[in-house]
Amino acid sequence: MLVLGLFGFALLIGSQALAPLALGEGQKVVIDFGLAGSMMLATLLAVFLGSSLLHKELERRTIYSILAKPIWREEFLLGKFLGLWFTTAALLLAMAGILALVVTVGYGETPWAIFGAVGLSAVELGIVTAVVVLFSSFTTPALTAFFGISAVVVGHFAEDLRYFASHGAPVVVRWITESVYWALPHLSVFNARGLAVHGTAVEPERMLFATTYGGLYIIGLMVLAAAVFRRREFR
Amino acid sequence: MSQERDDSRGRPSWNAEFLRQGPMQEVAPLPILELSAVRKVYRDPMTLKPFTAVEGVSLSLRRGEIFGLLGPNGAGKTTTIKMILGLAKPTSGMIRIWGREPRDRAARTRLGYLPENPSFYDHLTAREYLSLVGSLFDLGAAISRRRADELLARLGLKDEGRKPLRKFSKGMIQRLGICQALLNQPDLLILDEPMSGLDPIGRADVKQILREERRRGATVLMSSHVLAETESLCDRVAILHRGRVLEMGEVKGLLGTGVMEWEVTVEGLPDSVAERLRTEGHAVDTIAGRRVIRVREGGELQRLLRAFGQDNVFIHSVEPRRPSLEEHFVRTIESAS
Repeated sequence: MLVLGLFGFALLIGSQALAPLALGEGQKVVIDFGLAGSMMLATLLAVFLGSSLLHKELERRTIYSILAKPIWREEFLLGKFLGLWFTTAALLLAMAGILALVVTVGYGETPWAIFGAVGLSAVELGIVTAVVVLFSSFTTPALTAFFGISAVVVGHFAEDLRYFASHGAPVVVRWITESVYWALPHLSVFNARGLAVHGTAVEPERMLFATTYGGLYIIGLMVLAAAVFRRREFR
Repeated sequence: MSQERDDSRGRPSWNAEFLRQGPMQEVAPLPILELSAVRKVYRDPMTLKPFTAVEGVSLSLRRGEIFGLLGPNGAGKTTTIKMILGLAKPTSGMIRIWGREPRDRAARTRLGYLPENPSFYDHLTAREYLSLVGSLFDLGAAISRRRADELLARLGLKDEGRKPLRKFSKGMIQRLGICQALLNQPDLLILDEPMSGLDPIGRADVKQILREERRRGATVLMSSHVLAETESLCDRVAILHRGRVLEMGEVKGLLGTGVMEWEVTVEGLPDSVAERLRTEGHAVDTIAGRRVIRVREGGELQRLLRAFGQDNVFIHSVEPRRPSLEEHFVRTIESAS
């Protein structure tokens, strides 16, 4: 609630402050900043809540009495993942709702196109959450947060990484970069802010491709996380 | 037609075949919990130096017994319990719960566990937490609620059910821990330090509950530092030290039936005689104006009693002292060290 309140307040102040500078493009600026801000907030929340997700359970020893019950460890991990993903996605949706309200009230037009972009961002959040859950299943909260943030940054610039490596880099570096490129999540696939700003809805084909890609990537990460967590020892 | 008679095609019926095999052989029941030569070696994550936490522990628990796992800190009690629950994997050896691997979720359906110094989700209330536990056991909402009510009342938490756990004292959390361990009416209860954090009334309640669980047919494995409680509660104990089982057996068998010493309480013993007894090697104390003399040998006791009678010393009482589990435990650990 605090995050939502702060977001709404920042959006109102921002839209008022930017309107005179935007030369008639105030609505587009507010939508662009609103979507970028809401995704950033939700991502940070996913990374920082997720990084201590299992650590807190271990530190307080709440995990012992739960894992001694007739449940699979994979169920526990999946529950943690879904809980965090749905929480951050719900928050993202609520922020999109506030953004839509601010734009509707301020500019007299409801920006329905933002909800398609938010849907893709929610899938991206799922990938970020799965990355965080994977690292939290075997490493410390600080390292988990570091790897989570790194995955987001590198994931958005995967194409650039490949481009720079293909221009003049030695073969070995190119080969490594190519491998990293394919292993990393291509988060730019989920960025449809440009379309939303111009009031264009996300095409169904792109939505289907991005959702399938995101879904498969999430499944891959969770299978890996489950394999690591299954072997984990609790001292 | 009788089942023993051959069928129309001349083949003996299954029952006739079965009876021809002779009298039924009695099959030993599957042990509830079995550990065989269990070993656990941890490695320091930085130096990779190995550390043996448990070395060759073998146990077999029978139905309806309370088994105590005793040992000083670092003896390997909690590691053994964690391996039984599948929270840690043995480096070698075998653990079976009703013949199943500890990691098999079916092995844990009839199991109740109380961790050492338990901690639960502190934003939940006691009832909410028990409801969560009930759902993990697939108990169904109505059964789970009824059992939670019964257990909260039994553990003296009836009026605390709607209070968030962050407001619970250590003793209340321990009681709730016992509630959640009993919610599924387990056939095997594993309790890591169940008396920890409880006041004398709480300890008496838990002892009573564990006896009731034994009467119900449940098997209890408990680790404890409170040896006086363990002595009166456990049917069998194992003493662990540095990961190894030093002794295992029935409490009475371990302690023996012999008298360790006699305490003779007398009145009117002259100071000179008390001093002489001290020089002879007897412990002589003064408690509430009376002299208490500790005598280790039966013959010496006879001689002293005769001497006191001749010297008109009033003999208030003669009490034999048998070794307690605590004394036996300390002696065993000291001799192993």
